[in-house]
Amino acid sequence: MILLATTTAPLVYLLWTSLNRIDLSMPWLSGFAGLDNFARMAGDPRFWSSLWLTLIYTGSTVVLQVAIGLGLALLVMQIPRGQGALRVAAILPIVLAPVVVGLFWRTFVLSPDFGLVDLATGAVGLGSHNWLGDPKLALVSVIAIHTWQWTPFAFLVMLASLASIPPDLVEAARIDRANAWRRFRHITLPLIRPAIVIVVIMRTMVALSAFAAIYAATGGGPGTATEILNLYAYRTSFSELNLGYGAALAVVLLAITLLTSLLMFRLRRGR
Amino acid sequence: MAVLAVAAVVLAGWAFPVLWALLTSFKSERDVLAYPPKLVFVPTLANYAEVLFGSSTLLPNLWSSFVVASLATLLTMLIAVPAAYALARLEFPAKRGTGFYILATQMLPPVGLIIPYYLVLQRLSALDTYSGLVAIYLTFSLPFAIWLMVSYFEDIPREMEEAALIDRAGRLRALWYVILPQAKGGMAVTTIFVFLNAWNEFLFAVVIGGNRVRTVTVAMFNFISVEQTLWAKLAAGAVLAMAPVVVLGLLAQRHIVKGLTVGALKGGGRR
Repeated sequence: MILLATTTAPLVYLLWTSLNRIDLSMPWLSGFAGLDNFARMAGDPRFWSSLWLTLIYTGSTVVLQVAIGLGLALLVMQIPRGQGALRVAAILPIVLAPVVVGLFWRTFVLSPDFGLVDLATGAVGLGSHNWLGDPKLALVSVIAIHTWQWTPFAFLVMLASLASIPPDLVEAARIDRANAWRRFRHITLPLIRPAIVIVVIMRTMVALSAFAAIYAATGGGPGTATEILNLYAYRTSFSELNLGYGAALAVVLLAITLLTSLLMFRLRRGR
Repeated sequence: MAVLAVAAVVLAGWAFPVLWALLTSFKSERDVLAYPPKLVFVPTLANYAEVLFGSSTLLPNLWSSFVVASLATLLTMLIAVPAAYALARLEFPAKRGTGFYILATQMLPPVGLIIPYYLVLQRLSALDTYSGLVAIYLTFSLPFAIWLMVSYFEDIPREMEEAALIDRAGRLRALWYVILPQAKGGMAVTTIFVFLNAWNEFLFAVVIGGNRVRTVTVAMFNFISVEQTLWAKLAAGAVLAMAPVVVLGLLAQRHIVKGLTVGALKGGGRR
């Protein structure tokens, strides 16, 4: 089939590339290199840092999206009107191009002095911060950007799932004098668990290969402060033109993605 | 009351950055930098005139985006509809394997695909061409469109086509006259989503594209340089880049949750 041609063949080529030394800035050195690229990774602090950042970035964005999305959906279920407006507002971030979102935040929201966040912190006396220029804040900022854009997704899925719970069930529990927490814990949660699992799986996959928003906001910087594995592979391949090593990095990311998805699907089936 | 307040804050949080950009796009560059920010100002269309017809015109980029996204969408639908029908209805060897395989290709990290594509397209001297970009767009649009269409085909009662088949209509005729009219809505939604994703794509566009084919997501960076940011122009450009997807997103609003979760919803359930 066509997918075989468009995805699998390139993958095989990717594996082959990862075993080669292809450095477009030093083309005369190209050739088969065996596992050299992978061996180089073990002693490459930038690789380990990007791996660690990928973990933090993925973990925190997924947890935040699920927590905020679920919390909001529960809240919104209680307001009788105005759900429609929220649904429309939730669509907005989702349909925007991540690169436009990244640029948005870099300029209108986070830039020192003129950005919306700085205007707010300035107004309450917290002063001005270089949200994307300070290495620690930059990581928090890119996590916030991702969370801003994709929490609406979690919210919409949870809302749809909550809306499909028969009201009689909750009503019956209320009559049995179960308190709000117990109603949530024993009735709502089990019923929406499939939705939560789906959100976790999908968001993890997307977060692992997040690119455009970080690229637009920080480009992986300052230095390598927000350089997740995906960005490192890109920079190595297309800024430093070392496609062999870049491919090896991409293979590692690919392996992580596949392992994570297998693990998650297994967990899901186990339930 | 508190619930409403939280909902209102969130609503503002999702909609505000977008509205802020819209507002900024009508300001003069001088008004943008005013402190405190001006809410009342003399609106100007100068920014739009500049980004449409001025020296930093986005028109060629909007055109590129439109061509690439339309071609990719057209090709995707031509392949995905029959493929999805086969997966939903026909029996063939290794059907389950094929289904899972298509799902798995959807999870590949894009950076893993871009390196082999770059090397191959370079060899074919197809970098910076529409065909090269469209080919790589198929890698993410096809699996997505196939899965979404499968879910729509499965919603159509089997009896309908069985009746047609008994009347000695062939498979193809049954598909054309009976099934496709039923699946029209689903096809419209799928088309919208595929177009939206292609329009928003950035990583492939920035690597494969160049001076001839530069999509609007890549061209957004024209307004930002180390020396200065052209705020109002950037805002106007962003509004132009967003307009089509926001309109399409609102059109497909009701179906957006289904579209976004299709892979995971179906993939887990069928095995």
